[in-house]
Parts: sequence; structure tokens; C-alpha cells
Amino acid sequence: MMPTWPTAPPSGAQPSTAYTASYSAPAYTTVPVRQSFGQSYSTPQPSHPAAHTYGPSHSTPPSAANNATNVNSPSPAAQDQAKTKIDWPDSVRRYVQRAFIPANLDSSVTRSEMEVKLKETITQANEQGVMYTLDWDKMPLPQQMIREERARALLPLNSKPQIPVAAQAAATKKRKSWDLTDSATPDSSSATPPWRTGAGRLEDRVTFTTDRRLASAELPKTSKFNRADKRQKRHEGEYTTFREDTPPPGEGPVVGTCQDLEKRYLRLTAAPKPSQVRPPHILRQTLELLKKRWKKDQNYSYICDQFKSMRQDLTVQRVRDDFTVEVYEIHARIALEKGDLGEYNQCQSQLKGLYRLGLEGKANEFKAYRILYYIHTANRTELNNALADLTAAEKKDKAIKHALDVRSALALGNYHRFFQLYNDTPNMGAYLMDMFVGRERLAALCNICKAYKPDVPLRFVTEELYFESDVEAAQFILDHDGQELLEDRNGTIVFLTGKAGSRFEGARAKAFSRVDIKGQI
Amino acid sequence: MEFNAALFHEFAEALNSENGYRLAKTLSPDIPNERLRAIFRSQNAHSIKNALKRGLQGNAALTLDHQTVQGWVEIYAAYWNATGVILTARESDNDSSKSSNLVWTKVYEAWTELLNALLRGYQTFGFEAFTIPCLYVVCKHLRAFAIQADEERNRNAPFDNGATAFQDDFDPETNKHQKLEDCARVLSRVFMVCQTDRAPLEESRKWGSYYIANLLLKTYFKLNSASLSKNILNSLRAGGRDMPDFSLFPKSQQVTFKYHEGVLAFLEENYIQAEECLTEAWNLCHKNAMKNKELILTYLIPCHLIKSHTLPTEKLLEPFPRLQKLFLPLCRCIKRGELHKFDLALQEGEDEFVKRRIYLTLERGRDIALRNLLRKVFIARGFEEAKEGEKPVRRTRVPVAEFAAAISLGSQENIDNDEVECLLANMIYKNHMKGYISRQHGIVVLSKSGAFPGTGV
Repeated sequence: MMPTWPTAPPSGAQPSTAYTASYSAPAYTTVPVRQSFGQSYSTPQPSHPAAHTYGPSHSTPPSAANNATNVNSPSPAAQDQAKTKIDWPDSVRRYVQRAFIPANLDSSVTRSEMEVKLKETITQANEQGVMYTLDWDKMPLPQQMIREERARALLPLNSKPQIPVAAQAAATKKRKSWDLTDSATPDSSSATPPWRTGAGRLEDRVTFTTDRRLASAELPKTSKFNRADKRQKRHEGEYTTFREDTPPPGEGPVVGTCQDLEKRYLRLTAAPKPSQVRPPHILRQTLELLKKRWKKDQNYSYICDQFKSMRQDLTVQRVRDDFTVEVYEIHARIALEKGDLGEYNQCQSQLKGLYRLGLEGKANEFKAYRILYYIHTANRTELNNALADLTAAEKKDKAIKHALDVRSALALGNYHRFFQLYNDTPNMGAYLMDMFVGRERLAALCNICKAYKPDVPLRFVTEELYFESDVEAAQFILDHDGQELLEDRNGTIVFLTGKAGSRFEGARAKAFSRVDIKGQI
Repeated sequence: MEFNAALFHEFAEALNSENGYRLAKTLSPDIPNERLRAIFRSQNAHSIKNALKRGLQGNAALTLDHQTVQGWVEIYAAYWNATGVILTARESDNDSSKSSNLVWTKVYEAWTELLNALLRGYQTFGFEAFTIPCLYVVCKHLRAFAIQADEERNRNAPFDNGATAFQDDFDPETNKHQKLEDCARVLSRVFMVCQTDRAPLEESRKWGSYYIANLLLKTYFKLNSASLSKNILNSLRAGGRDMPDFSLFPKSQQVTFKYHEGVLAFLEENYIQAEECLTEAWNLCHKNAMKNKELILTYLIPCHLIKSHTLPTEKLLEPFPRLQKLFLPLCRCIKRGELHKFDLALQEGEDEFVKRRIYLTLERGRDIALRNLLRKVFIARGFEEAKEGEKPVRRTRVPVAEFAAAISLGSQENIDNDEVECLLANMIYKNHMKGYISRQHGIVVLSKSGAFPGTGV
């Protein structure tokens, strides 16, 4: 639940600059903490009422409206104090200091508010004659009091007067750079430029970035724009209340309530609504339905879409269990079967993480696929990483060992063994090997052409490179401009390797240079 | 150094003598706890900026303009703030009961503030270039703190993943190097601040480019994103004309840079460039920097194996026990052409090889072992019957079956003739062997002049 009032939290920075500049006779100038923003004294600015910095949407204590007068001309009581030069007790000094240590600062409470509150508290204590007797160390800090007052005022509307951590951090960060003369600080990039502060900016309506709205509220505002600002604030207030049921990101997983089995995939641009997210027990039914559908219709675009929305629902609810693994595994297999390597790769990298969490699934099967996949994409770095991740036991697993043997055969150029392995691939690895068997055939053909003289029977090529038939082998050679290299000699077709030269080298280089996969960088 | 007259004196001295390294020492966090505590206690949060301002400006020997002082005040204030956080972190490291609240993350953040203040010094307050060693010190420790922060977080909550709400899938790797990735981004900004300085060379921050580049490369290696390193190399190459000559940079920076450049080429299997860079690094490396020499050799030896088929001598490896263990068994097998033992040695060292990213390269040493074995067969077959007065000629027609016997014996596997032919075809294709296979006759016809190029026969 998003509290409504922080939409326009008065910032720490500029408003208080205006305030300090116009503050002519503060009651407690000796308080050491104020020295830290002494800079702002040197640049006098036109004084304007501090009140306008309080956004209308946050219900400040009733006294807020009077603050303006308080600020510009300190209350009579305070002036009296200043005149009579009261020697403040140490306990009071400590209390004031404590209020201003960064750790205690609250980004939703402006400095001027705090100072007013402090003054009020101390004056009251002095007037009542309890200044020396009060236990100031246990006194609530002014920001706490203000917060409580606000909370009381907001109670019927909102029971949780806590500003999100992110917003807090953004505000404190901002504050650190306020006394720099130059604004070219690395932090300044996060501030919203003035030309983007118009009412009802698009991102205010479509996104949920608290800190951006904060930043806009932090901009100096002159009275000229005051009314427009107020209008903007009002709008923002409306929007936040309108979106009350969307939790800010990072507050915890969504708990879905959607009961539909099927759901189209839509990329999220805002936090998901529980009403549109299916809880795990519904997703289980969905999976059963999709399995049946896949068997019956074999409609990949439908299936892929449905699986993506399922994965999304699992992710936003942070469901990471055996069921999650099953969903990803099934999607990965279907994607493999259809040659959709982009989708397959997404599933695979998720599975890698899930297995690492200790979830069972078919880890070895998919680790083997991964090795084959990296062979295909010629991703040496990842291949190395994959090798590094394998344990001794995994290396003995049938599928993984097969993949490793494939890798080693290719590394050593042992095409004979490679094609034997191709012919005997466990699980669905052959779908992956199909992807690169063509280029390996070209490589082997180059080898044969250079090594064998003067010729070899076509049958030899067929067998070595595991073509289905002589016709297929001949077709492969013809496809790569090898017409003249085939000769009919007394009924047997021979392949004139001696004449091939480097005919296939170009095609080979081309086949190895380009591994183009959708969804892969 | 406590934040009082001592610091101000040191500051003024360093600035007056334009000694950047001396100045940088005042910003080092690498000091014992007592001294950190002394610094932290010598000031308090409320008065530090004014005290600094007075102290830094008040020195009569210095004439600093208002802006510069302002810059340094921010820097030392940030440093002072960081000392407090570091102290807390170090103390909580010793006290295991409190170590759960991510103290090193706070250190990293405080230190980032310091770096930002320092960068502002260059970007807006016009700090002079001789002060760049300050950047070195601060950046170096930023990286160290980032690593510590990541370790600490992973220890405490290995799979906590906050940033998943808008993604379709979660990525378990996202958070693992969160701070180090952030650090890489910060460092690349620092790199650009150095690299894009247009001041005349004598007073340019370009002199800091290689130090920062080295730090960045190191970081990218650790993050396993070697591809990002390319950008750094390209940027340095593109700025080549305006950069000071590479040989003018400190040798230590040259060695580190060439090493990284070489390893990057190595990972891309560009062994020619890798060999070039690594050799350069090897030649420039200080003779007593054993650790660095060991690192260079780890990649240079496989390079030589692939490129010129040469093996390291035992004398070269003598001072490096780790490298001996790593390479010698393999080298012996290659030399003697012992295929089976080679496979065993490769398996034996696999974990270590894979970890160092040299497995896939060393594996190809098997080709050389095989060549040496085949060469033995060729030599064992002796010479044709010599004609009077002529040089004896080796018998160049070798039945495939003989090679097959040797290979089967050597690899202790039963290997059929077709596979043997395949291996032979490979040898010929890769120019390890000159000649051709006649499938019809089942023989290999080897070249009369240099059947095994580069081996003397």
C-alpha cells in the first residue's frame, strides 16, 4: 500500500535554502550542526513563504499554515529567548544535535518543519519551566513527533506512514550534494530536469517510480508556478490513490488470485496485479492442459506464448520449486524440438540457476544439452565455465559423457568419432547436433580433400560423414559446387579429392563464422 | 594521519612538491585500526568541514583558490566518514555475532562517495594531473571493497533476489556480483575522465588511463565478461594518436596491460597476438616478480605449444613449482608421443586447467603427441636400399596398418583403420605431416623432403 502523502514530500534541499536565507534571527544560532550548511547563507535569495513547499496532498499538522509567519518572524517567545540570551542546558543542545544527525533525518520531514517543531518544543518547555528538569535524552525527536502527528491525521486513510526505503535513500543522497556550488555531481543525473516537470507527465501515469516523483518535488518552486504545482500534486495524489492495490517492487512476491487456466503472455511494464496472476495450484492445472494441447495440436506459437506467461506468473510469485523446474524443462524440450534456440536458451539459463538451488529435475540431461549448445554457438568462454561446473560423478553420466566426447572429438578434428557419436545421441541432443552437423561435415570434407589422393569412393564419404544415402552425400557435394568432383567409374561413383583443392574452404569458413541465434546476444 | 596540523602539513608538502603519490597516501584506507581510529576521533561530523577548510586554506605555503579548497574539503570529509565505517566493518568482522548487517556494503557506499568527491575535483574544480595517484589509491580500494561487500552479502543471503518483479524470468547471477558490477561502471567512468582529458599531454589525465584500464580489465575478468574488456582496448587504441607513447608509462602498468591484452587474445584463440603481447609482458616483467612471471607463463607456454610446437625446458620452469606440476607431466608425454599417458595427464590436471582457462588449448597438444608418435613410426621404418654414393632416402610409403598399430598401442585403445585414417587426414590437414593417403592401396605416401615439418625429418 502506497502512502499518499509522500508523493510530494518537501525536500531537504532547496526549500530550506530559501528558508535559511530569510531566517534573520534564529533562536538558536549557536547550535553547531547548522554550520554544515553555512554555504547557503552566502547566497541570499528572495524570501518567499516556506509554506508552499509543503505539498497540499500531505496533511501537515494544523499548524503548518502558520509556519510561514513563524519562519519569517520568529515567534515572540523565541525572540524573547534570543534577547535574554538563555544559556541552553547541555541536555537541550544534545537533543537538538541528535535531531540533526543524518541517521535520524527523515526525508519526509523538511528541515524547516523540524526547526519549527524544535522551537515549539523547547519554547514550551522553557515557558513551563521544565527545561532543566525534562529528560531530553528520552524526548522524542521532532521528526518523530511530526510523523506521529501526520499518522494521526492520516489514520482513516492510511495506516502505514512509512516511506519506501528507496525513496528515503534517494532523498538522503540528494541531500548530500546540496551545499556544493556546482551541480555537476554524479548524483545530479538522477534529478529531473526542469523541462520535464509539467503536470501529468507520462511516466507519472504509466510507471511507478517513486523516486522520480520525489525528484520533481525537490525542484525549486517559485510562487509563479505555485498553482500549477498544486494542481500537479493533486493529480499525483489521485493517481496514487487510484493505484492503491499495486505494491511497490521489492516488497515481496505477489500472491496471485487469477483462476483462468489460459493466459496470453504480455511483457510486464508495471508491477503485476494479483488478479491477473495465477497461483501455483492453478498453474499445475494449466500445465496438464498445455501438455494435452501440445500432443493434440502441435501449435508451437500458442504453446510458447502460454509457457511464457506461466513462467512469468511463477517468477512474479517467486515460486522456485520442483514444479518450476518441470515447467522450464518441458518448455525447453518443446523449444528444442521446434528449433527455437532463443527460447530454449532462456529456459536453459533459468534451469541452471534452479538446479544450483538444489532442485532435482533432470539436471544431467540439461547439462548435456548445454554443452552441446555451447558447441553449437562456439562459445568458448561458456563452454569452459560449463566444464568447470561439472563434478566427477556428472562426467560419468551417459548424456554428459556423450556431450563431452562430442566436444573432444571436434576439438581434435576426429570427425570419424564425431559422426559415430552423432548417430548415438541420448535424449533430445540430436536436435541440437543437427544444428551444427552441417558445418562439421564441411570441415570433414575439407580434411578428406586435402589428405586423400587421388580419389575415394563416394560410399566412403557417405559412411564417414553419416549421410543417409549416397544420394544425400552426392547432393551435399553438389550443393557446395562440387559437380566436377563426382565421376562414375564402372558403376561406382568416386569423389575426386585430388582435384578439389580448397574448394570447400570458403563454405567451411562461412559456416563457422556465423552462429546466428534469435534471442542471443 | 590524524586530521589536524599533521595532515594539513603533509597535504601542503605533497602539493607543493607536486608529489601525487605522497598525496595519495593520505587517502589510503590500508592502515592499521589504531590509526584509522585516531583519524576518526580527531574530528566530528559537525565541525569537520570547517576545520578542514581552515586547515587546508590556512597554510601559508599554499595558495589555493577557493574552488580547489572546496574540492579537497569534500574529499577529506568523505574520507573521514569512510574511516568510521571501515572501523565498524573491521570490528564486526572480528566479532562474528554481528556480521550479518552488511557492513562492507556500507563501506563500499562510503568509499564510492569519496571517489565521487574526488572525481568532482577533476571535473569541476580543476585538480591538476599530478594528483592522479589519488585516483589510483581510491579506485584500487573501491574494487577491493566491492569484492568484500559481495562476498559478505552472498554469505548471508545467497539467493535473495529483490529486483525480479518486472522480469519474466529471474536470474540467479544478477545479485552475485552486484557491487563489483557497480564498481566496474564507476571505474569505467573514471577511465573516461582520464581518457577524454584534452589538456596538453604534460598535464593531462591521460597518464592515468592505463592504471585505471588495468583495474577495469582485472574487474571484467573477475566478472567473467571479457567482452567488455574489448571496449577498453578499443578506446585506448582509438585514442592512440593523442595518447602518450605506451613505452613512457610506468613499466609495471605496461606489464599488467600487456598481460591482460595477451590473455584476452588467448581466450579468443588468437594465439599470434596472444604470443606477441605475452612475450612483451614477459620481457618487461621485473625479474623478481615471480607471481607475475608465473601468470604470464601460464598462458605463454600453451601459446608456444600451439604456435611453434615448442615445450618449456625444465630450466625455465625451475623457479616455478606450480607451473612444473601443471605442465611437466603433459610436456613429457607430448615429447615421447605417449598418447595414453597424455590423456591421463590431461585428466589429472583437468580441474586446474579448466580453472585457468587453458584446458581447451592444452588439449590440442595431443596433436603434437600424435605427430611425434607417427614420426617415430616413420623413423623406425628406416631407409630405402641406398644406391652407391647417394644420400640414403627414408622409406616414405607407410602402410596405414603400421600407423594403426602404433596408435592403438600408444592410446591403449583398439582403433579401427577408418579412424586412424581420419587422424592421419587431420595431421595432413593441419600440416603436421606432409603427404597423402591412398585409400585404394591402404598406404600413406609421405613427402621425401620433410615429412614432418619442423622436426628435422
